[in-house]
Amino acid sequence: MGLGAPARGVGRLFVLAAYEVGGVFLLLMQVVGRLFRLDFDRLEFRRCLLQMGYRSVSIIAATAFVIGIILVIQAFVFVDRYGLRSQLGWGSGFVTIRELGPVLFALMFSGRVGAYTAAELGTMQVTDQVDGLRCLAIDPIAYLVVPRFAAMVLSLVALTIIGNTIALFSASLVGQIMMDVDQHTFWASLLEMLTPWDYLTGVFKAAFFGGIIAVTSCHFGLIASAGAPGVGRAVNSSVVASAIAIFVVDFFSTFVLG
Amino acid sequence: MINLVNVYRSFDGIKALDGLTLSVKKGGLLGILGPGGSGKSTLCKVACGLVKPDAGVVFVDDVDLIRADPKTVRRIQARCGVQFQNDALFEHMSVWANVAYPLQRLTDYSPGEIRAMAIERLATVGLAGFENQMPSQLSGGQRRRVALARACATEPEILICDDPTAGLDPVTSRHILDMIVGIRYQVRNTVVVVSSDTLGLLSIADRVALIWDGKLIAEDTPAVIWQDQRREVRRYLDDAKLPIRRPSWA
Repeated sequence: MGLGAPARGVGRLFVLAAYEVGGVFLLLMQVVGRLFRLDFDRLEFRRCLLQMGYRSVSIIAATAFVIGIILVIQAFVFVDRYGLRSQLGWGSGFVTIRELGPVLFALMFSGRVGAYTAAELGTMQVTDQVDGLRCLAIDPIAYLVVPRFAAMVLSLVALTIIGNTIALFSASLVGQIMMDVDQHTFWASLLEMLTPWDYLTGVFKAAFFGGIIAVTSCHFGLIASAGAPGVGRAVNSSVVASAIAIFVVDFFSTFVLG
Repeated sequence: MINLVNVYRSFDGIKALDGLTLSVKKGGLLGILGPGGSGKSTLCKVACGLVKPDAGVVFVDDVDLIRADPKTVRRIQARCGVQFQNDALFEHMSVWANVAYPLQRLTDYSPGEIRAMAIERLATVGLAGFENQMPSQLSGGQRRRVALARACATEPEILICDDPTAGLDPVTSRHILDMIVGIRYQVRNTVVVVSSDTLGLLSIADRVALIWDGKLIAEDTPAVIWQDQRREVRRYLDDAKLPIRRPSWA
């Protein structure tokens, strides 16, 4: 067997990926257009905000608590090696706020809210509910997608701020109990070394990630077909594509945002 | 009222509609017969602008649905009530809310009037007292009736029912078809009904179209279709194991 078959496989994969990325971008353009015209369902937006934001607080808080502990233990290894225990707050806080916090919260959010959205819209699509909306002269993008997009962006930004705060508190607590670094020293090093831009970088990333999760999950939900297996495939594709997109965007945004 | 001319539509290379030409007169009841996968559901969706054909033209009144702008298509769609094959009920809404939703979106009635109208529509389809149930709590026949009540909630000019009797027992199936006839006489709208209940559909329709592999095989009054001896028509009617009893006009 020559190289023909693998090359064809890679080619097919590339075309498929380009097709999906194109679909996601087209949906994003439609969402942005309607968002600027404020053409979306306010009631659905409030319902999504409650469902996606408020009801995700507990899972993000639990994740944040553990992330804070893990990062302070990791940071302690290095600050202790160089005799910089007083910089423990900065060491663990910097990576939490700028990098790992937004990424890990986004992945958790994608698993909970993105998967739910893809399943919900996928079920609506395969049971003709989306066509039912069209028959009532309701634009499915304005009614289903834009409220979810806006709610996910706002929710993930808010959840990241809450999560970062909880992670820092758990880190300072563990720093005091296990590493004998008192809380005053921890917070002083964090506030002294960290700039507002570092904090905003994490918030911007959260907004990007929220948008990515929203548009990806809505795209895969709305193109679902072939009944229950099709909905399962939509959820799977949505979670995988969101995770990949989060890492790719994180890579570029880290460069762009410094 | 509805005119489809030389309409083609395929999905993943499989032809659903293959040069189909069909028209429905204002105030008429067109029954559509055909085996599964013959393109009946696609025809329903094309007729109300939910699916764009690959080729051909679709007119509703004098509006070309393919070339019309999205706003005009939405305006036409608002004049259509569609009952989908798998009900398409909004599962997060109660039975009452499902029926009231089109009234809330498409009319200017007050909330009190909308509530009264939704309850009346549910009573018309024999579901008085089920207002606060959720769709998941209903049987297949009851769901179908809610879908019918929702489709005709706004008394649309065009009512399209995509296999409202699918998977139902013969008695419920006849009840549903009788309800469609009752609604038609009450609202005086144009009705298109797809059904696998061949005898039931032949009993209620003004005209019947037989579709096979996306092509129109025959279109005429039920009496003419019933006596049509062409092989392709007999193939369908004889496969339908008819008649259990002969209709009065046969």
